[in-house]
Amino acid sequence: MVDFGTAELTLEMVQASQLGMRALGAGLAVGLTGIGAGVAEMGIGSAAVGATAENRDMFGLALLLTVIPETIVIFGLVVALLLLF
Amino acid sequence: MAGISSGPATYIYACTRMRVRRSLLIPREDYLRMLNMSLPEITRFVGETNYRSEIDELGTSFSGINLVEVALSWNLAKEYQSILELVPGELKYFTASYLRRWDIQNVVTILRGKMQGVQPGKLREVLIPAGRLDKVALDRLLTEESPERVVEALKGERFYPVIERELPRAMETGSFAHLENELYKSYYARLIADVAEGIKGGNIFQKYIELEIDTRNIQNLFRLRAGHVREDVRELMIPGGSFSVEELQRLSGLEDRDEFIDALKRQVRAVPLLNALEAIRGKDAIHEIEVALTRVQLDQMERMSKRYPFSILPILVYLEEKKYEVANLRALARGKEAGLPGERLQGYLVM
Repeated sequence: MVDFGTAELTLEMVQASQLGMRALGAGLAVGLTGIGAGVAEMGIGSAAVGATAENRDMFGLALLLTVIPETIVIFGLVVALLLLF
Repeated sequence: MAGISSGPATYIYACTRMRVRRSLLIPREDYLRMLNMSLPEITRFVGETNYRSEIDELGTSFSGINLVEVALSWNLAKEYQSILELVPGELKYFTASYLRRWDIQNVVTILRGKMQGVQPGKLREVLIPAGRLDKVALDRLLTEESPERVVEALKGERFYPVIERELPRAMETGSFAHLENELYKSYYARLIADVAEGIKGGNIFQKYIELEIDTRNIQNLFRLRAGHVREDVRELMIPGGSFSVEELQRLSGLEDRDEFIDALKRQVRAVPLLNALEAIRGKDAIHEIEVALTRVQLDQMERMSKRYPFSILPILVYLEEKKYEVANLRALARGKEAGLPGERLQGYLVM
């Protein structure tokens, strides 16, 4: 009465689908945070270049401020790694 | 290319550069120190700031007060031209419109010089090629022999119709005051027209224009009172500010000074300006009133530029403050050369 062949196939499909969803989630976590960091760095970066153009001593501080939004990507990467492993 | 240059990043870049440059302007404490210096000391002090390259470059050809004067003019022109090169898109358009006032100043200086037969070399020293007419264009004007020929050479410039219309009267009376008034009025009218063209950011530029026109009109009203001019002042007022020309005429007709200030205060909404007008009540010297009003204008612009941090305003704030820095240094150097005491000079500085 019960079609075992079909049931087995469905379970494999579900497992594969879950793996796919995890991979997709990990991709979104890194990708979206990357876009977020990029948007945030746009303003800071242009201001940093402007300030450095006027005063070279600003370079170190400007670089530091520019990379601060990178932390968002690190959070995304951590979430992605947690999802995958 | 146009698509790349638009967007917020270029605005942020340009406005940050202006803010950094503004922070490098000479602070109030240094002016106070300079008030106690002699002319050579001031020259050396100025030569250690942003004006070093000009002072070094011109040191061999000029000396004393002329060195300071020419170095200041050169620096101002160089600074303004470099800003015009680095600002993007619409900001460049507005900055260029704003800088056209230097064209008017230069052309009127050349006309006056030509009328009085001043040598072109001497005239060149007092020109500030910060506007659309660069050094080459101004040199070409300087080689012309008469004021009429100078005006002829300006064909195609925005202000040519005004200058052509007014020149015969100026030549006849020997005074360029009316011509100059008309040129500046057409300059402001043109700025307002530029804003009306609907370019992005124009509404913010308009706020500055209104503030500038209002300050000029109020300053002029005080000047007219100091000069006891009671005639029709409508021709001397700039239309387009928050006061109509008719209102200004009515204000200038008020005899009593306190009554005049009260009437002005009723029309004004900005709190800093109200406070300044109240403080002016106790002041008699016209230069003190003018400096107080200019200071209020600069503070007001600074406040507006913080409200719109990535617009034309931070650039205009820097341009204006730089203009007053140069004017201050010139006043200091000239005053010291004339042997004026520091306390007297302090009243003329916009700090």
